[in-house]
Amino acid sequence: MSAALGLERIGAESMPRAASLLSTEDLTVRFGGLTALNRVNFAVEHGEVRAIIGPNGAGKSTFFNCLTGVLRPSSGHIRFDGEDITGASPDRISRKGIARSYQITNILPNATTLENTRIAAQSRRHGWSLLTHHRAYRDIIEKAEEALEAVGLRGKAGELAANLSHGEQRNLEIGIALATEPQLLCLDEPTAGMSAAETHDTMELVRRIAKNLTILIVEHDMQVVMELAQRITVLHYGEILAEGTPSEIQQNPRVLEVYLKT
Amino acid sequence: MSRRRTTVYWTGFCVILALLIMAPLVLPEFWRRFLTEILIWGLLAMSSDILIGYTGMVSFGHSAFFGLGIYGAAAALLSVSPPSLLLALLSGLVAAAAAAAFVAYFSTRLRDIYFAITTLIFSQIFYVIIFTWTEVTGGENGLTFSRPPLAIPGLFSLRFAPNTLHWFVLAVVVLSYLLLRRITQSPFGMVLQSIRENEARTRAVGYPVERYKMVAVMLSGLFAGLAGVLYALQNQFAAPDFVFFLVSGEVVIFNVIGGIGTLVGPIVGAAFFLLLREGLSRFFTEYYLIFVGLIFIAMVIFLPQGLLGFARRWLNH
Ligand SMILES: Nc1ncnc2c1ncn2[C@@H]1O[C@H](COP(=O)(O)OP(=O)(O)OP(=O)(O)O)[C@@H](O)[C@H]1O
Ligand SMILES: [Mg+2]
Repeated sequence: MSAALGLERIGAESMPRAASLLSTEDLTVRFGGLTALNRVNFAVEHGEVRAIIGPNGAGKSTFFNCLTGVLRPSSGHIRFDGEDITGASPDRISRKGIARSYQITNILPNATTLENTRIAAQSRRHGWSLLTHHRAYRDIIEKAEEALEAVGLRGKAGELAANLSHGEQRNLEIGIALATEPQLLCLDEPTAGMSAAETHDTMELVRRIAKNLTILIVEHDMQVVMELAQRITVLHYGEILAEGTPSEIQQNPRVLEVYLKT
Repeated sequence: MSRRRTTVYWTGFCVILALLIMAPLVLPEFWRRFLTEILIWGLLAMSSDILIGYTGMVSFGHSAFFGLGIYGAAAALLSVSPPSLLLALLSGLVAAAAAAAFVAYFSTRLRDIYFAITTLIFSQIFYVIIFTWTEVTGGENGLTFSRPPLAIPGLFSLRFAPNTLHWFVLAVVVLSYLLLRRITQSPFGMVLQSIRENEARTRAVGYPVERYKMVAVMLSGLFAGLAGVLYALQNQFAAPDFVFFLVSGEVVIFNVIGGIGTLVGPIVGAAFFLLLREGLSRFFTEYYLIFVGLIFIAMVIFLPQGLLGFARRWLNH
């Protein structure tokens, strides 16, 4: 018994990366001649809030597209929760526990707010039920309502998603992701196009949900990033330029040179 | 649906059902047959609405599923004696479902126009096979067969009188409608509608979209095959014309005229189209199709949501 435990411990020490919730190994994406991601080695631990920053075109969204299966990397590997998910389909990755929100709002505009989160919540249960009315599944509706509650849209449940304000649609975007009950949530510029007040509210919201989740967030507003994230990864031309705590990043001369001075 | 709308819906349902039940008692033979045919074409159109209206996939392959339903029923009626209704149903449904599974496997990876073209090509392949395989299918001449009795073995057996046939068709179409309606309201139906609204997002929240599409095509093909079996019972012959892609085109037209994504709309569209064709062909002999085409174009432009959508808006005001 104790021998077995000892072995386990040795095993765990010899593979420190296995502990990370998500890790990438030499992740590379090429679009024709353009290398959008170049040998990215990256790891996020359970419960971490990690910000990814970098100038326009640095490869941040491309990185998310790889993690969520939208893009197949040209080379390299992605491991999530102890499993190689390189090249897996978006639906399989979602069911494994990675959810994401999109830089450009990507919702069901002709469905109500609740239907948007309902369909996401349903993907974990009863999806192949053909002969029962969907309203009979209280468990799905409760999950969907919880997700709306979490993003402050409970009062707009019956509203057509297309009729929500831009800021509300951005939050619904997060609500849909939450409704899939992920382990890892990737937020791609969740506050894009929001007013200062809306940005503040959304960041409060992210802080709240971060209590039970691991979060990757792409964000341009430095103030916001510094307050929210425990660690920051800086991407530049598809490569990791620096990684560290907010204060380390703020003082890193290379980062200051390419990014913060603008 | 609110309480009031539910009441209105079921009242309307019962009134229309009652009218359809009583119709053969008052209609002359020609129009009784005509009404039965409208129901059959309506079921075919309704089956295709599952794809067009609910999943956002336009199928031009429904003539194949319909045709295989007819030929499947014919095969059972010709090879087993005495002819059995249950076997005809079973054989027609299996043939249609097999064809649908085959088409679904190859076509659902493709989207939009590519899906439509693939279903069209596959249905034409079935057409060519049926047209040329004369020993089995009768080729160009088709097959004729006799109608089985309305029977459940060991329980009862009844000869199909014209009225019984109408009621049988009505019962099958109404049950199919209720079943399809329930399917569109089920979690599965919600996924189909989500695919229609935003396919990439549906995949991203965890649905294997291709598999859902495949099941949708197979379900749709199954009900198209059921319409084929009914058609075989009504007309007692099978002909390759029913497998030809023009039939698929008409099915799409029924949907567009009546209003997609409503299930009832396609039946209304089928009724409208068939009545229009009947009326115009009496006045304009072979040129009637020009007028059908003009009316169709006008309707697409002025009633983009179909007759049913128009009626709904008009009622709401
Ligand atoms: N599908 C694609 N085909 C070709 N090039 C692409 C594609 N997607 C992204 N790129 C290119 O890859 C590079 C990285 O793009 P990406 O969208 O990942 O940047 P980003 O860091 O998210 O930028 P932003 O801050 O503007 O959102 C850019 O040069 C972009 O033009
Ligand atoms: Mg981006």
